[in-house]
Amino acid sequence: MNIIEIRELKKNYPLGTTTVHALRGIDMNIIEGDFLSIVGPSGSGKTTLLNIIGCIDSASEGSVKIGGVEITSLNDIEVTDMRLNRIGFIFQTFNLIPVLNVVENVEFPLLLMKKFTKAEVRKRADKLIDEVGLTDHAHHRPAELSGGQRQRVAIARALVTNPDIVLADEPTANLDSVTGGQILELMKEMNRIEKTTFIFSTHDENVLRYARDILKIRDGVLVKE
Amino acid sequence: MKFLIMISLRNLLRQKRRNILLGSAMAFGVLILVLATSFSHGISDIMFNKIVAYVAGHVNVSIREGKGQMISIFRDRDRLVKIVKEKTGDKLKDYDEGIGIFLRAIGNGKAENMVLVGVNMNKTYSDEQRKEYEESFHMIEGMFRDLLSTDVENPVILSKEKAALLNVKKSDTIRVRFNNIYGQTQSARLTVTGIMSNDNIFMQGVMFVEIKNIKEMMGYRPYESTAIHITLKNPQADAVQIADSIHEALKPGPAFIAADLSANGIRAKATIIPYMGNDDAMKKIISSSFTLISGKMDDVLMKSGVMVSDRIAAKLGLTPGSKMEFRYKPKFEAKIIPHSVEIKGVFRSDMTTGSDTVYMHEALFYPKFYDRVPDLTADVKDAFLPSPEAPFYKALGTEWVLLDRTRDSDEMRKKYRSISKRKIKAAAVDVNSMYESASDVLKLEGALNIITFGAVLVLFFIIVVGVINTLRMTIRERTREIGTIRAIGMQKKDVRTIFILESVFLTLFASAAGTILSFITMWLMSLKTFNVIDNPMGILLVKQHLYFLPTIGGVVKNILLILAISVVTAYFPAKRAAGMRAADALRHYE
Ligand SMILES: Nc1ncnc2c1ncn2[C@@H]1O[C@H](COP(=O)(O)OP(=O)(O)O)[C@@H](O)[C@H]1O
Ligand SMILES: [Mg+2]
Repeated sequence: MNIIEIRELKKNYPLGTTTVHALRGIDMNIIEGDFLSIVGPSGSGKTTLLNIIGCIDSASEGSVKIGGVEITSLNDIEVTDMRLNRIGFIFQTFNLIPVLNVVENVEFPLLLMKKFTKAEVRKRADKLIDEVGLTDHAHHRPAELSGGQRQRVAIARALVTNPDIVLADEPTANLDSVTGGQILELMKEMNRIEKTTFIFSTHDENVLRYARDILKIRDGVLVKE
Repeated sequence: MKFLIMISLRNLLRQKRRNILLGSAMAFGVLILVLATSFSHGISDIMFNKIVAYVAGHVNVSIREGKGQMISIFRDRDRLVKIVKEKTGDKLKDYDEGIGIFLRAIGNGKAENMVLVGVNMNKTYSDEQRKEYEESFHMIEGMFRDLLSTDVENPVILSKEKAALLNVKKSDTIRVRFNNIYGQTQSARLTVTGIMSNDNIFMQGVMFVEIKNIKEMMGYRPYESTAIHITLKNPQADAVQIADSIHEALKPGPAFIAADLSANGIRAKATIIPYMGNDDAMKKIISSSFTLISGKMDDVLMKSGVMVSDRIAAKLGLTPGSKMEFRYKPKFEAKIIPHSVEIKGVFRSDMTTGSDTVYMHEALFYPKFYDRVPDLTADVKDAFLPSPEAPFYKALGTEWVLLDRTRDSDEMRKKYRSISKRKIKAAAVDVNSMYESASDVLKLEGALNIITFGAVLVLFFIIVVGVINTLRMTIRERTREIGTIRAIGMQKKDVRTIFILESVFLTLFASAAGTILSFITMWLMSLKTFNVIDNPMGILLVKQHLYFLPTIGGVVKNILLILAISVVTAYFPAKRAAGMRAADALRHYE
């Protein structure tokens, strides 16, 4: 079953008087439960592609379906709900909320959903914090954590809502290779436990061994091996 | 929502330096604003409830008669008081006969110009009033109640300053010279029964005697009233409306005397009706409406003019030049005094003039009428009164002349100027609210409002500039964070709310701090004693201290105003922040 279906996707950025063609026509299907890596050099369009799949950027042309829903025609409120309920994000720079501690950061998306009791929220957050191995640091603020620990919090936060897809844009780029490896192992473990589809981008060929499927991207188009 | 509040509160603590700076500026603005409103409220309180209430009342009813219309004398006190009570109802705080006279006071070898004011000691005062009086008139010797003493002649209380100037002590006699209501120079002896210390320099030149004594000295009879000063519970709200309704109730009825005439040993009943002769228009109306059988109209229109109907003339055998007597039962006096007048004309009576009637020039009529107001309940039923449709009705006199209401002191002054030209013979009744009689004092309120407005303006700029700049910096710094929370799934309006709440909390804390500081400042400022002697600003002090009157309502109003300004100011940057595209925000690196 395809969780994501992309047809003829183009993305143009106006830049001064010229136009940057960041994506020049992408066609792809991603099956549910995949652990997919999108690999390509800097500037090849990885972030742009993930942003469009993640409903935080809009396509210029083409069609993007997530779970059968055409997202290019949704309004801002619907798109926001889509992100909240079906997508989890992991960022290169971790992007935790600095004024919230670990538990609070993980609880954050659940609170936005407004459909769980305080106790349910806490239970679910605790479970994920345990799974990423940060129970001892649950009440620390992000500034008190190492890069690897922060990314673990981000993973817990991305998964806490039980999303269909987790998008990770170069999740290991700001980490040393050992920690980066541990993070990818963790992601893969979570993919196994939670059956969530993972898509992560990287420009580092070394991390590809963690991926189940690999898509190469260059100058806004997918290239065959 | 709780969650958004938590985030915005924590965010507020992030840029401590910046927010403390902006918060201090806001707090300072609030401090100034609360100080300004409390001070100006204190001043209005002094003005409305102390100065204006003492000097002229919030509403005053005066009635002036006689030459130059300088004497305020209402001939039927009960009637006036009844109207005042009826029209003020439960809005009335107090009413008083206001009487004060300028006089020359001679003490032990020293003389001084002073003001003598009557106070009503027979009234029961509320605890609040008693406290107010005791606070403003601090008795050094004797007691206020001593004014009621009948053991000594005209007990008087004066300030220690004036007592020193006149070189008098308790029990000494002060001789005073003044003009009574009839314009005659009078002298009287006052006995010092009390000496007070008053911080209000206006009050230092005032001596107090019991109202009954001062009225007697001035020549008032017990049933007569001076001007009535009305103090209201809520003067700013009610003064004008109450002045209007008292004015309405004071519309005069026709003036007339149901008299017994006698001449040549014959008696007859007739109505004596005054006509106005003070201007040419009125004279014309009279001369064209009455036909004289004998006598000259020119004589009738003089100040001594009297014309009788043909029927009365025939009955009493009257011709121009002959004299007749008239008498009537006064309302208040037991003794009936006959008046003698000379007939100037005999008119042909008809339905409109009435046949048992005497028409009398107002100059002749009113002094007698006012001196002994007729009992209008006795014998009036058979009295003939011309119908309002009569062509000369407009030229007939009324019980008094009711002056038009005015809206401010300029209008009031204009009114008085035109009155003095009209040479009214009847008494002129005037109803004023403090907005006319004390508008000069009230102008001060306007000035204070400008100060307050200035404070609001300063605060407004602090908030607008401060909040916009702070938010702009904050939003730039947190751009990626905004992108993150939007990516995670927070709706635009919640992002906006977080930023607005941040400003609201900053404003609230700053307002609280500013309010607390302002109360400390007010307390410190009112500790200081000011020794103002002969400085008009002294009236703004209470017991030589600055007087602040903060109200919960006022403080809350100020804080709400400031909150409103900061919400409106924060709204636009917050909206822009929330409207950022998440993808762009996430790519933002400082
Ligand atoms: N907001 C933008 N405005 C203009 N050009 C952009 C913008 N975002 C990305 N680009 C351009 O689009 C291309 C793809 O960028 P990106 O998706 O970030 O690549 P990657 O993530 O693979 O490094 C690059 O040439 C980049 O300069
Ligand atoms: Mg990228």
